[in-house]
Amino acid sequence: MKNQDELFRIVEYSADAAERIGYSNYSYWRSVWQNFLKKKSAVFMGIVFIGLVVFSFIALGIGKYQYSELVSNNDLMFTSPNSEYWFGTDNLGRDYWCQVWYAAQTSIKLALVVAIGECIIGVAVGCLWGYVRVLDPILTEVYNLINNVPTVIYMTLIALVVGQGFTIMAVSMIAIGWLTMARNVRNLVLMYRDREYNLASRCLGTPVWRVLVKNIFPYLISVVILRLALSIPGTIALESTLSYLGLGLDINTPSLGLLLRNSRDYFLKYPYLLVFPAVIVSLITVTFYLVGNAFSDAADPRNHV
Amino acid sequence: MFKYTVKRLLQSLVTVLIIVTIVFVCLRMLPTDSYFTEEQVMKLTEEQKKEQLQAAGLLDPIPTQLFRFYGRLLHLDFGDSRRIQTGVPVMKVIASKFTVSMRLGLIALAISLVIGVLMGVIQAQFKDKIPDHIGTVYTVFVNSVPSLVSYSLVLTFGARVLGLPSLYSTRNPGPSSILPIVCLSLASIAHYALWTRRYMVDESTKDYIKLARVKGMSSGDIMRKHVLKNAFVPLAQYIPASLLLTVGGSLLVERFFSVPGMGPLMTDAIARYDTDVVQACVLIYAALGIIGVFLGDVLMTILDPRIKLTGGSSR
Repeated sequence: MKNQDELFRIVEYSADAAERIGYSNYSYWRSVWQNFLKKKSAVFMGIVFIGLVVFSFIALGIGKYQYSELVSNNDLMFTSPNSEYWFGTDNLGRDYWCQVWYAAQTSIKLALVVAIGECIIGVAVGCLWGYVRVLDPILTEVYNLINNVPTVIYMTLIALVVGQGFTIMAVSMIAIGWLTMARNVRNLVLMYRDREYNLASRCLGTPVWRVLVKNIFPYLISVVILRLALSIPGTIALESTLSYLGLGLDINTPSLGLLLRNSRDYFLKYPYLLVFPAVIVSLITVTFYLVGNAFSDAADPRNHV
Repeated sequence: MFKYTVKRLLQSLVTVLIIVTIVFVCLRMLPTDSYFTEEQVMKLTEEQKKEQLQAAGLLDPIPTQLFRFYGRLLHLDFGDSRRIQTGVPVMKVIASKFTVSMRLGLIALAISLVIGVLMGVIQAQFKDKIPDHIGTVYTVFVNSVPSLVSYSLVLTFGARVLGLPSLYSTRNPGPSSILPIVCLSLASIAHYALWTRRYMVDESTKDYIKLARVKGMSSGDIMRKHVLKNAFVPLAQYIPASLLLTVGGSLLVERFFSVPGMGPLMTDAIARYDTDVVQACVLIYAALGIIGVFLGDVLMTILDPRIKLTGGSSR
């Protein structure tokens, strides 16, 4: 008898504890972060990427030439990498080091701007598309029409009619790229919009925006992050293709496609013209791909705890 | 089934018409100077330009032009090329190009189907072992690195180490098409490997596979006779579309290796404002894409009789 009294005791009633559900100190973003840190390869690549971005600024600073002050010099053309020209010189005798790093920065900047733009428009339109029934047939038709014409046609038309440049490029890429994101988001919203908890929420008079933001959006996070991470290599690839075809950025903004276009005829003889930009860009895109996959796995609440 | 087919074809026809109309109107919004070569822009007076445009019927209001365009489409007349090969009917221009693209595309498709599916099967069989990791590295690399970079790497390796020709030439089509074919296959090998692996891994955890294992079937037989067959159905859906779209060629590969194919034709035509060629190209691409998806659905019902396109109505 005495033993039992020692083992059990009556807990005082606490309103707070009665309301508590599940894991007491669970925080969504902390779990995401902890799960992400478990993937050593992705964390390593993430650090490499941040290092690369930081270094691209340092590289332009410590380089011996400024991009704006480059002049062509026929005596110096195709100098192999040496202590003066760290990445050698191109077919016009210009320092390749600053061109490569400048191009890397342009690519990263463009990719980030486009990814964020796509994400904002895509998620907003996708939520409405999936949630508001009246809009569904209209937006589906718009999607079919835009999606069935090859992207290159739009990009060529834009390049010819509006012109070429960083802003135009970014805007037109967003204008076409949001479709995929919106489509993915719409399919998910359709899946969750009529679940019982949302039905209950609607019956209780929750406004639409609150249902979207609080009830549905958390389910979208992992997919949105995945698309975001995949769209970055995609944008860099599209930019390089378009610039290579002469439809991308203007000639005064060095970008990866432009560097490769300029060196297309020479890099068989002087492979360093290909190797330096190729390695840097591959590092950036592979990193985003891996980090994005790892982060989206970590953001999926089903993998938590 | 017949009713469904007719309905779906009519729907596709409307979609193609709308697409062609949009492109038609877009093209008419470009400045009219781009109808002429730079030389002509300098030499011709405004009146001469106007006369020529008038003669070609390009100054009429857009709806009039549009209806004339529809009328010609009914006779399967796509007009004449203005700038790419001046005065030659568009159909002739395209006919001379698409065989080149199609030959490269079909070989590449065959190669990537064989290698890709095989790679996926091996990856699925050795899941989480070394062959799987090697395959994953390949797919991640191909999917994330810009194709321009990977093509350049293929080119440098092929030309410098193996001594293959770095540009396509019509006089020597055999060896000079090796590198373009390799480049065309890179991405689709990764695609087929990735999805074969995915579907097979999903399939191999199902109950009937467990039963087969319990019965004492060898794992090689299970993979071949059960898993692969079922995993191939969703993949087969995309094969007709890829088969048809080989006609269209690949813009980047063909430009990169100077292949005289369909790929660069459309951008060239837009840049030189050869409107009839652009419209014919758009029409072909859109029609092929839509027919391809439809044939893919049909193929899927043939491979897996459980799938019905007509929903409940066929019961």
